[in-house]
Amino acid sequence: MFDTMDLLPGEECVSTRSDNRKLIEEGWFRDFGDGLALAGGQCLACGGIFFPEKPVCPNCFDPARKKVPLSRKGKLHTFALSHMGPGGIPTPFVIGFVELPEGIKLFSLITQCEPWDKVLKVGMDVEMVIETIRRDEEGNEIVGYKFRPVPEGNP
Amino acid sequence: MREVAIVGVGGMRFGKYADRSIRALGEEACINAIRDAGMKPRDIQLAYAGNLAQWEWGQGLLIGHSVLRELGLTKIPISRVENGCATGSCAFREAWYKVATGACDTALAFGVEQMTVTGSEKILNVFTGRQHAERDGDMGNSAPGLFALMARRHMAEFGTTREQIAMVAVKNRRYGALNPEAQLTDPVTLEEVLNARMICDPLTLPQCCPRGDGAAAVVLSAAGIARRFNSAPVSVAASVQVSGSYSDAGSYTFFDTDVRAAEAAYRMAGLGPGDIDLAEVHDCFSVAELVHYEDLGFCRKGEGGRFVEEGQSGIGGKTPVNTSGGLLSKGHVIGATGISQIVELVRQLRGQAGKRQVEGARVALQHNGGGFIHTDTASCFIHILKN
Repeated sequence: MFDTMDLLPGEECVSTRSDNRKLIEEGWFRDFGDGLALAGGQCLACGGIFFPEKPVCPNCFDPARKKVPLSRKGKLHTFALSHMGPGGIPTPFVIGFVELPEGIKLFSLITQCEPWDKVLKVGMDVEMVIETIRRDEEGNEIVGYKFRPVPEGNP
Repeated sequence: MREVAIVGVGGMRFGKYADRSIRALGEEACINAIRDAGMKPRDIQLAYAGNLAQWEWGQGLLIGHSVLRELGLTKIPISRVENGCATGSCAFREAWYKVATGACDTALAFGVEQMTVTGSEKILNVFTGRQHAERDGDMGNSAPGLFALMARRHMAEFGTTREQIAMVAVKNRRYGALNPEAQLTDPVTLEEVLNARMICDPLTLPQCCPRGDGAAAVVLSAAGIARRFNSAPVSVAASVQVSGSYSDAGSYTFFDTDVRAAEAAYRMAGLGPGDIDLAEVHDCFSVAELVHYEDLGFCRKGEGGRFVEEGQSGIGGKTPVNTSGGLLSKGHVIGATGISQIVELVRQLRGQAGKRQVEGARVALQHNGGGFIHTDTASCFIHILKN
């Protein structure tokens, strides 16, 4: 699973890939054939999609479900510049909620957006990238999803 | 269910009391409330203690028993409850419910917290839950972050300004200066709020409530016997508790918990937002109060900024909010916060609020949100009080 991360657009840290890089949550990601994507759980009974996957469908309590890829692109619902936060993430950093076409709101770090207060607009198009989120106490790089503004000429 | 009255209230000044025991803080508020009710400990048949966490040291478990034992309040059923930042309101509601259903005729509810014994980072990690699988906390989210995100969306959608959001802090600190039990008693100007250290843009430091140590307590009785204890009982017209829906739908400019709890509370009291003479709401961050105005129906959706700018949430306005100074002045002393809001409202309804008195106040609303998961508060309590 880990090797596929090299293939992703927006991956910043390919060259430093080593044993001390860890996915923030293995169950959040899967390679569905074109690189690592966020993996939601889709209920086979009602079709509802949830992220992260739930143990049963929160709508109909049915345990039968399959993993489905979530869209890589979404809309920036809102954002803020945080000057404080959990250890391991250098401050300040930009956070946001991103709305995916599946109707899912994701909390996310927002990246590649400097100067943030000029670049970012509520409602703009953003896309998912895989980047280092933070370092843990043992010095491991914790890798996960972030969103960035969709680069020009790449709608 | 039968009518329940508040017959005694007891507060204390919130602040930094690392040199006192958490037990001593609880004792102070409970003694004040039981005295205010004109009771002896043997008159109280049941008690709930609200306490969120044992932050670093001190008695956390069985906090109710250890506080009340010192006052001679023994043998009766005593329980501790936890419900995030609404822990105190949960203790109050449980006590109310036991009296309302006839399980007992009198009850004590108190909340206590001692947070200055630990550091901000510990508190942040307890709140954001590194050890949880919940995705947001591990990825850079925090309480100020959640509310800054709501502020930005509100600004983009409704044209709310940084200045309007900051005015909540100016108003609340103005009233905090009139409340002898507030932790921060110095007023601040709009310029000072806007130019203060940025915590999470657009929220600066005075727009984020401080933590603190302290306690608050109330005594309840069946309304039919209330005048045995107190000549001016305050009636509980509604008590509502809901939990979050954590929906991904809709705009991140409201709390679904607030809206559902308010609707149920107004229905239970047979009242509407226009009947509310004053309110204490959960202003953990300035923007939260502005959103609560809208969710509770004090103004229309999107007009919270104008509501505070026009002075409608100040004394003399349409619905005065947080005359105690709110969490922004008192500090958020988690287990005690909800009870402390009720203490303020009872004093207002009795006409005992001194320089911050809302003249002729007859109906008051208390709102307390607890915890945050993804897009919603985990719990929300609303109480409507009448004299």
